Amino acid sequence: MKTLTEEVVEMVIKALEAQKSSSNEKREGPSLNIKFSEYSEIGVLNPRNRDSIVRAQAITPARIGIGRAGTRMRTSSYLRFRIDHAAAQDAVRKDVNEEILKQFNLPILKTIAADMDTYLMNLDAGRKLSDCSAEWLEKNIEKGNQVQILVCDGLSSSAVESNMPDLLPALIQGLKLKNITVAPPLFIKRSRVWVQDHVASIVNCDLIISLIGERPGLATAESLSAYMVYRPNEKTVEADRTVISNIHKGGLSPVEAGAYLSDLLAKMLISKCSGVQFSQKRYLETN
Amino acid sequence: MERNEQIISAGIDIGTSTTKLILSRFTLMNTAGSSHVPRIEIIDKEIIYKSSIYRTPLLNETLIDMKSVLGLVEQEYKKAGVRPQDIQTGAVIITGETATKQNAEEMLHLLSEQAGEFLVATAGPDLEGIIAGKGSGAFQRSKETGQTIANIDIGGGTANIAVYQAGLLRGTCTLNIGGRLIEFDNDRVKNISPPVRKLLMQLGITLATGDGVSFDFIRPVTEAMARILVHILQRKMTRDDEVLLLGHPPDWKVPIDQIMFSGGVSECIYGHEPSSDSYADIGVHLAKALQDNPELQDWEWIPPAETVRATVLGAGTQTTHISGATIQVDPARLPLKNLPVYQIGMDRNLEDGSQKVKNAIQQAIQVYDPALEGKNFVLYLTDLPFLRFRDVQQLGNWLIDAYRLQPNQTNPIVIVLQDDLAKVLGQTLLAMQSDRDVICIDQILVEQGDYLDIGNKLQSEVVPVVIKTLAFHS
Repeated sequence: MKTLTEEVVEMVIKALEAQKSSSNEKREGPSLNIKFSEYSEIGVLNPRNRDSIVRAQAITPARIGIGRAGTRMRTSSYLRFRIDHAAAQDAVRKDVNEEILKQFNLPILKTIAADMDTYLMNLDAGRKLSDCSAEWLEKNIEKGNQVQILVCDGLSSSAVESNMPDLLPALIQGLKLKNITVAPPLFIKRSRVWVQDHVASIVNCDLIISLIGERPGLATAESLSAYMVYRPNEKTVEADRTVISNIHKGGLSPVEAGAYLSDLLAKMLISKCSGVQFSQKRYLETN
Repeated sequence: MERNEQIISAGIDIGTSTTKLILSRFTLMNTAGSSHVPRIEIIDKEIIYKSSIYRTPLLNETLIDMKSVLGLVEQEYKKAGVRPQDIQTGAVIITGETATKQNAEEMLHLLSEQAGEFLVATAGPDLEGIIAGKGSGAFQRSKETGQTIANIDIGGGTANIAVYQAGLLRGTCTLNIGGRLIEFDNDRVKNISPPVRKLLMQLGITLATGDGVSFDFIRPVTEAMARILVHILQRKMTRDDEVLLLGHPPDWKVPIDQIMFSGGVSECIYGHEPSSDSYADIGVHLAKALQDNPELQDWEWIPPAETVRATVLGAGTQTTHISGATIQVDPARLPLKNLPVYQIGMDRNLEDGSQKVKNAIQQAIQVYDPALEGKNFVLYLTDLPFLRFRDVQQLGNWLIDAYRLQPNQTNPIVIVLQDDLAKVLGQTLLAMQSDRDVICIDQILVEQGDYLDIGNKLQSEVVPVVIKTLAFHS
């Protein structure tokens, strides 16, 4: 097996050569989509108890048992760290691939955040639909369904790209199985959780659920959360929302998450509430 | 926010000499954070009632006095202040020579039906050893220390050995070694069990019922028992030793570091119980022979947490597992009892999946329903790759197709998954509108050939599962 260092060196040489050959014709280098292998390595030299490192690594994605070179990280550990950091930055900065959104017939709405910098610096900008999107929604959306699903890029487009294609159909299948009416899902670009309140005020649904990319970390850049709220209004606060987080390949798998969320939404429809109030009601009902 | 759910578990052990029961309260807790999907675990097991140790009521040599056993259980429940419908999980085990009585199976099923909502009937010498090894503390100790421990549970009729290494079962073996294999009536021999008759012949000793009790035969018999036990533990069984072997020879492949004795005979060694009844049999002499055998001293002896109650404790507190919290079950179909497990390993890919699933169902029917009487089984799906939604649908289609081969289409489809995927697969099967009910649960580790009982859905939305390992392969 190639070491990570060898893999990275190979990639860099390839990228440089590609740039060289294309630099005569175009200034722009080819956009590279690099995938590095995902194995965890035992960096400790001559471990006294190798099995215990394997066992410990199996229960956490944290960087443990990676060894050291003198007082520093080994080159491969450092490169792995940089790769994960770059993936996290990409997840925030890049946009969701529109091809994927098209495949799922998701209309693309926008918030009032005109560009990425505004979106990142001004939190309120990601919480309101742009006038144009609000108008479109008013005219085109099916109103009065029980559930409205939103797909939001939030802080990780990668999370949406990797989970939504499996989560969305599993969720819709579960809701239909319980005869719950669902409005066609929408995608909202540069959006934060609270935008669901604005959308709900227009579409007049009982429950609105946002599938939104979480702030990426170094363990994964692909984690998605689901935020749900029952009939939000101007008095809605964070405690009124229910959240299920950690949806990704290495956490709760997106297909199982979809099935679980459909059950949770069904219970909220019966309880007619969400968030802390919902938890309290369930507590009283089951005891 | 959520209050912890509590359930009551019962353990009932009907042994060769004694019958006892225990009741314990399990506390279930959601150990996942509030923004995560629940993860329900048993966080506490509190023993709330221990019965006295009763002589097993027998009508005669071949029949258990079922009425008395039921009456005894009823009376103990009353003392403890519980009703059968309060018992949500647990196991009844019938052990040693009692398991060979004519009405043993009937007794077992009667108790499992009447003494609780979900009380699992268990039997079989291997399972006895496994459960006793958990009740005695040998399993837990091996898990904590990483050592290989043989638990030797010696009751009235049999010695059941289970070998645990670092919390993993490594093998079992059962011997006709027990306290009640020669019974006395005052100073006369009252009864000699058939395996001991053979042993006496081998030793060249003539003994008949009515003969006077004497060390001339007690000592050679109990010494021979200790010697054969040593050979078994060393995996150096001779042809002569087979005289006391019940079932298969020892099947562990690792040397034993430590030994632990539990069961009624170990009570004669450790004296845990306040007032030890004296039994007119060779029990105390057997205990002495074990203590005097020099070769048994080569192993470190670990005192058991429980002696005579090890099996009942194991049955009452160690047999219940909890499923994953996201499952899809039809409550009207639960509990399900005694379903054999057929495993399909998918080798982390779905290539040829359609054929694999079909073959598995075909073979499962051949093995578990050979006469096509409509006996159901559990399909255990393991080593799945990461599943996209279309993969789940494909898998669902294959399963629905293959399940058409079952002769009884009114049986529920029962699937256990190793990975956390039961809810989506269950919902997918329902969405495909097959007419079959679906029980799809996950995060339970079983093996081909195990038998499974699945209990009623609890408030925490999990189901208790009891796994009965009958065949042991390692």
